[in-house]
Amino acid sequence: MQSNQVLQETRPQAVQTHPETNGGVVYTPAVDIIETPDSYELDVYMPGISDKTAEATLENDVLTIRGQVERSPKENLRLAYQEYEVGDYRRVFTVSDGVDRERVSATVRDGVLHLVLPKSESSKAKRIVIKAA
Amino acid sequence: MAIRDLVTKFGKKSVPIQRTPGDLFGSLHQEINRVFDNFGRGFFDLSPLSTTLLEPSGTGGFSPKVDIKENDKEIEVTAELPGMDEKDVQVSLAHNELVIRGEKKTEKEEKGKEWYRMERSYGSFHRLVNLPEGVDTSKADATFKKGLLTVTVPKRANAKQNQAKKITIQRA
Repeated sequence: MQSNQVLQETRPQAVQTHPETNGGVVYTPAVDIIETPDSYELDVYMPGISDKTAEATLENDVLTIRGQVERSPKENLRLAYQEYEVGDYRRVFTVSDGVDRERVSATVRDGVLHLVLPKSESSKAKRIVIKAA
Repeated sequence: MAIRDLVTKFGKKSVPIQRTPGDLFGSLHQEINRVFDNFGRGFFDLSPLSTTLLEPSGTGGFSPKVDIKENDKEIEVTAELPGMDEKDVQVSLAHNELVIRGEKKTEKEEKGKEWYRMERSYGSFHRLVNLPEGVDTSKADATFKKGLLTVTVPKRANAKQNQAKKITIQRA
């Protein structure tokens, strides 16, 4: 898969407790990845997050996506039936040189974090001039 | 989880543990779990709240996850519907039966767009939640925020005192 060269997923720890989240459970959110002629686009599905509680950082090669879910403010609610658990989200990818790090953008809508990673000009094939030695 | 580990839909890399399985076997597995869950529930739990799953339409269908919470005053049903618009979701209540239906539309096929990974499911869904007696369906309220649908149904005041009554046995 070609995407592995551009976006490599760092093995997630899946459902786990992570020191960053005060011992709460952390989930690996579902991700859709699309390539367009100009960019790579990621849709990260994190129901319950907002633009204030979602976070995407790109540090060196590591793209870290985090989402915090606010607990229900209502008191005395007890669980009667459960299919999903509430927890924070975290997923990590490694980004190759093919991405223009300066122009990465992110938006949040309806619990989905949309990331656009533009392709870098430098990633295109370049001709190397061979000089006579 | 053994099936999930073996089957990956896209690419050779194994799909990490997801909150919402997208592939057929994953959802089948989930369904089986759910059926057994409900089976057990009926016997051991005697919960007044139960969910009935209708067949998702076609193979592309999916089923959003639902949590049900309650306190003395109300019942709160939440469903995970990330990436959906409130216009794509319909909620109806009749005869103590809450119906959540909708459709997650696939993004339009665009030329030059190539899918690398699709972990999320698309298609239409239909979920039924049977609410217990004693809820005031006329005062139900639904909000859609941050990809979460929340339906709140208040309990009737008199239902709160629905505690066991002692019946005096009279000598015949």
